[in-house]
Amino acid sequence: MTRLSAVTLVIDDEVQIRRFLRAGFELEGFDVVEASTGLEGIRVATLTPVDLVIVDLGLPDMDGSDIVERLRSWSSVPIIVLTVRSSEQEKVRLLELGADDYIVKPFGMGELLARARAVLRRQQGTIGEPIVRIGSLQIDLAGRTVTRGGSELQLTMKEYKLLQILARHAGTVVTHQQLLKEIWGPSHAHDGHYLRILVRKIRRKIEDNPSQPSLLKTELGVGYRLIGQSNS
Amino acid sequence: MWLGACRHLILRDRGVPQESARQSPQSYFATFQRGATAMAMHGWSAGPARPLNWLDYLPGVVQSTGLLPSLALVAALTVCLSIATKFLDLPHVSIVYLIPVLIAATRWGAIPAVASAIGGIASSAYFFYPPLFDWRVSDPQQITDIVLFVGVAVVTGRLADNARAHMSAAQKSEAEVRSLYKFSRRLAAASTVDEILAAARDHVSSTLGRRILLFQANPDEGEPTVASGASGLQQPPHQQLSRAGHSVPRAPPLADDSTWVKRPICESNPTLGTVALDLGHPPPHKVQSLQNQVAVALADVSATLERLDVARALEEARARSSREAFREAIIGSVSHELRTPLAGILGAASILSATPFAAQDKRLAALLDVIRSEAERLDGGIQKLLDASRVSSDGLRPQRVWTDPADLIDAALEPYRRAHAHRFQVLLSDELPLLHIDPILVQQALRLIIDNAVKYSSTESAISVEAEDDGSRILLRVRDHGMGITAEERERLFERFYRGPRHQRLVAGSGLGLWIARAFLVANEGQLEVESAGTDKGTTVTVYLPIRPCPEREARDAT
Repeated sequence: MTRLSAVTLVIDDEVQIRRFLRAGFELEGFDVVEASTGLEGIRVATLTPVDLVIVDLGLPDMDGSDIVERLRSWSSVPIIVLTVRSSEQEKVRLLELGADDYIVKPFGMGELLARARAVLRRQQGTIGEPIVRIGSLQIDLAGRTVTRGGSELQLTMKEYKLLQILARHAGTVVTHQQLLKEIWGPSHAHDGHYLRILVRKIRRKIEDNPSQPSLLKTELGVGYRLIGQSNS
Repeated sequence: MWLGACRHLILRDRGVPQESARQSPQSYFATFQRGATAMAMHGWSAGPARPLNWLDYLPGVVQSTGLLPSLALVAALTVCLSIATKFLDLPHVSIVYLIPVLIAATRWGAIPAVASAIGGIASSAYFFYPPLFDWRVSDPQQITDIVLFVGVAVVTGRLADNARAHMSAAQKSEAEVRSLYKFSRRLAAASTVDEILAAARDHVSSTLGRRILLFQANPDEGEPTVASGASGLQQPPHQQLSRAGHSVPRAPPLADDSTWVKRPICESNPTLGTVALDLGHPPPHKVQSLQNQVAVALADVSATLERLDVARALEEARARSSREAFREAIIGSVSHELRTPLAGILGAASILSATPFAAQDKRLAALLDVIRSEAERLDGGIQKLLDASRVSSDGLRPQRVWTDPADLIDAALEPYRRAHAHRFQVLLSDELPLLHIDPILVQQALRLIIDNAVKYSSTESAISVEAEDDGSRILLRVRDHGMGITAEERERLFERFYRGPRHQRLVAGSGLGLWIARAFLVANEGQLEVESAGTDKGTTVTVYLPIRPCPEREARDAT
């Protein structure tokens, strides 16, 4: 586990949540700044250089999506949203507004840290390594090749495209809409069945047990997630 | 109306016969005709039902009641003139007879006018033109007088008759408008079905001048109208009304020979009510026109009642949506208020578990595990309560998307992977068709079923989750080797809050799980089946979900 000295802004009105998030992040070497309201959070984000924003969806003064929208209007800082269950459409909306990922309350700190690392790595690695390693899978974005356990996989154009998009977002969720638009074009944004069939095919090629995938995970009702890189 | 009348006169002056103008549907006189029709319909209805006399059975022409007074006028004038001619010389005495002709035409119509004209000529010839007291007339000048008189009498008579008809039509339509205005004001003020029905009943009876026997909001089952016999009327006997469960309110005993018409207030929506009208003893030739009048009067009423129905539906929709908003608010608030502390507990416990202290001290690690698992259980309980409230408030609106059954099973098993307590086996057949379902609802249902398998079987036993298709459905099966279900328990399995005594002894629970699971599956057109060979023989729960044809081009375009 690498230690990252990133500054994390936690925007949450619940003092207990802020306390445990601070403890969890600080134990992993993050610096933490806190804000208890949405407006305060936006002010802190403009005054302090922050590397990551954790924002609760249920703030009393502002809607979570408003905060995401306003932060996104001037900053590309990674944003992770804390949500509750059974609001899949809300999650998709937040991701489309520019949130990088979400996590459903209640959650374990380990899970949140994994997501935080994934979004930070993506933020820092946009100009970096062309090779993404996930388990025995190696995706060479420059050479456009995918190898599994050393041997190259034969992928169709669309299969490769799917892996490429997910690899660029490794560790974070990518919505169905985004995948459909990027792979088939905007006119197919509602042909969800294309994507299910493509995912099923590619899982047969990259997963050890396609019926219980460990690399390409389903976020039911939201999208897909290629799990985070093993190391970097 | 006056314009119509003027045009009518002009046309008549050009020699077009009146009857043909009325019969031509494309004529200029559509407006006028409508007025005339309305007049004809309401003309007879003023006042309460009256007993019919012999006049009603005579042809319409003879029914004109002005015949005798007109002739009486002529007689009176003859008497006056015979006195006057004793003192004055009146060479054109027949002109004076135009007075009764005009009076008869304006007051009683064309027939009495013609009758008084004939009476006038006869009187002139008999009493005043030589030879006196003889019908013959010798002077050619006087013959010209008589011919002129006849011409003037006919023309003025017809003109006055027309003017009279238009005036009475105007009066009738004014009365009709007044009555409609009164009716609509009452309707506007009415806010309940009963008030509207009372207003409608009064309106119909005053417009038609007929007694109304039944006017109820709940119609009898089926047979809406009449239509027995050639006339389309029936005589609703007492037995039939009481058989349908209606009281016969406030009505005097039915005279067995009076004719009744019974029909729904609204043809298109028989649920609005039925009305029965006493027509008395109408002559056969009036039956059809009476039926038409009933239909016209009921059209207003049914339109209002339908509007009321729409208003009621709108009111209900408003109430429903505010109920739903309230429910959403409660769910949101419960979700937030209960889950936030849980998030703190679970988060803090997860941090502690990752510290070196927990790694060194097994007892500490075990305690942290207790905190974690109990907090997760609490979270599951909150979710179940929220789900149950969604089911009971009828708030399930599935968001259907194409879903891989394998994804459903994978997501449903996710929370159990960390527990490592049971051995899970997943068996999927190849190339399962996609499902068009709400993945969240079906996943939650599957989770509740798996939850039961975990709860009611020993921790080392295996639980298998299988998926296959039988051509028209996909079968998702959860099979455990636990305590099983007896036939008795199976009967009550899907009852809300039901828990068998054996299950209660083993582990705590709410009795909501299967009830919610079934509701979620039914919302997705699915079914749930539970089988068990009996006590300690394990349980198999099978979920059936329909296969929908996938949109075309899938195979070609997908990859």
